[in-house]
Amino acid sequence: MHRRAFLGAGAACLLAGGPAAGQRSRPPDLHLEGREASWYRRLPDRRVECQLCPRSCQVADQERGGCGVRENRRGTYYTLVHSLPCTVHLDPIEKKPFFHVLPGARALSWATAGCNVECKFCQNWEISQFRPEQVASFPMPPETLARQARQAGAPLLSATYSEPVVFWEYVRDTAQAARGLGVRTTVVSNGYIQEAPLKEVLPHLAAFKVDLKSFRESFYREVLRGELRPVLRAMEIIRAAGVWLEIVVLLIPTLNDSEAEIRDLARWVKGHLGSEVPVHFTRFHPTYRLTNLPPTPVATLERAHAIARAEELAFVYLGNLPGHPAENTLCPGCGEVLIRRAGFAVRENRLRRGACPACARPIPGVWA
Amino acid sequence: MSPRLSRRDLARLAGLAVPGALLARRARAAAGARVGLAPLAEKELTPAAARSALEKALVAATGATSALAALRALLPATETVGIKLNCLAGRGMSPRPELVEALAALLREAGVGRERILVFERSARELRRAGFSPGERENYRCVGIDNDYDPEPSTSGSIGSCFARLVSTTCTALVSFGVVKDHDLAGVSAGAKNWYGVIHNPNKYHDGNCDPYLADLLRHPFLRQKVRLTILDGATAQCHGGPAFRPDATWPLGVVAASTDLLAADAWAWRVMDGERQRRGMPTLAAAGRPPRWLATAQGYGLGVGDPARVEVVRG
Repeated sequence: MHRRAFLGAGAACLLAGGPAAGQRSRPPDLHLEGREASWYRRLPDRRVECQLCPRSCQVADQERGGCGVRENRRGTYYTLVHSLPCTVHLDPIEKKPFFHVLPGARALSWATAGCNVECKFCQNWEISQFRPEQVASFPMPPETLARQARQAGAPLLSATYSEPVVFWEYVRDTAQAARGLGVRTTVVSNGYIQEAPLKEVLPHLAAFKVDLKSFRESFYREVLRGELRPVLRAMEIIRAAGVWLEIVVLLIPTLNDSEAEIRDLARWVKGHLGSEVPVHFTRFHPTYRLTNLPPTPVATLERAHAIARAEELAFVYLGNLPGHPAENTLCPGCGEVLIRRAGFAVRENRLRRGACPACARPIPGVWA
Repeated sequence: MSPRLSRRDLARLAGLAVPGALLARRARAAAGARVGLAPLAEKELTPAAARSALEKALVAATGATSALAALRALLPATETVGIKLNCLAGRGMSPRPELVEALAALLREAGVGRERILVFERSARELRRAGFSPGERENYRCVGIDNDYDPEPSTSGSIGSCFARLVSTTCTALVSFGVVKDHDLAGVSAGAKNWYGVIHNPNKYHDGNCDPYLADLLRHPFLRQKVRLTILDGATAQCHGGPAFRPDATWPLGVVAASTDLLAADAWAWRVMDGERQRRGMPTLAAAGRPPRWLATAQGYGLGVGDPARVEVVRG
């Protein structure tokens, strides 16, 4: 079974008996209705300029932007994926990973097709690198998604898997609907977004995880055809808005794992975002178009951890290494183990009202 | 960078009908960078007129004694022939069914079995919008790719894409059946750009006026080794506003074009579009910021002749 089929089947299992049951399959030949996008401007000759992500695609009539999910129809720009997820799952929030957001909570996680970059190492390329008519999607309006989370006992929603920026209107509307039901919304994104749409939606979000692909512009340009600078700016905006931020860095052997790069990254995080923003270094596994490199050696990850700690980042984690001690949250004040994890499972949570039980140091995060 | 092939790709290519491919290569080499033209007026587009124009264009493009002789050399009866249409712009600016029917009928007469002639486009919906009827036809099968792509991507230079299985696996020979029209980013959308429709992620490859992406796509062995012929329905052409249909930017070019060179028909299309744009007082494609640079890149790869000045036009 291909991953695309697997994800679709997972959604089918989750939704069986739900309001959308029986409407899951979308025949590939069906017309995508779409709805007008929120961030674009019209240009002469029925062309449009997308103002959602920094690519700023200028799109001719009948064409789509680089994300593949936004289409110009006679000078009006449409998002084709609003209310049309291709996968919906209940995940532990640690899977995102968020380690400082309601530990052990479940998040109803959803995605549509499409992405605004093309990482050669994408783990979810079978939905992120396809267009909406090429994957099995099913209608699910924001209100339904929010209600599903509540019914499943999940206090969180998470826009994830592919790239939430390309379904940003759907994220916004879902977060608004969820808030009324007491469900909070998180986003797992590459952070490659323009300032205006980011600022517009941030007030509706509880937490934002940015996949920082590298700390080098050359990597962004060559490996995913994106840019680093707008991502750094987005993280500053998220932090300034008071939305909880965590950063994940997938370390890929020889491409972004040099000591100098990790040190530069850690210094920038400390200087621009603060030392208490959690940074997760995660292990690469060969996939998609990057199959000629081995999995990241554990020693490389541990070295990155040591460098970041030496640069005085308070919360540094290692991921895709189940059982490694660096999955645990330690008190930066006294070294006490506060949250003990094994993979995505929380084995022990000793936090007391968001503080260390031993030295009473407050630990930043969304704890209640 | 040379194209990277998976073992699966190699196995598929090894399975091609080698004698047919060699014969076709010889025929293409003999034709050179030639574009054959035959007159065809939009309002006179009867089945008989379509067939006559197509035959003349094929003879002019190949120098063969007849259209059937040309097709027998290029597309021997052992081949499974995929004819890729460009129907994105709907009825207004897509290959006319009369011409496609004529090509399929000629192929049948040249010895290719009906079940070995596949007329296809990205989706059945697009085919219907352009006036085609997906399903079994008298001389061919008409199908949409829809979601039938290879499960794994295949790499060629900057391109990493899942190819339609029709292209990677089913068909052993390919024909691009396009139109003559402007493209907002690629500059020209004629025979070559049509191949963006056989990969799952063309939206990723429009930066830089599609350069080098389109050239890299054409260099992939699935296309470089299988594409034998380009045919352009130029009864009506469009010099601006593409790839969508823009009636105010069309003009009656009045020809059918054919070429065995992978690039020459596009180079010729660039030339005639610039001519029409200048006649209308519009800037050339280069001056408008969208020169089809990918043609020079593809020519640099040795895929054909992309320089309009080097293309020989032969009128049939």
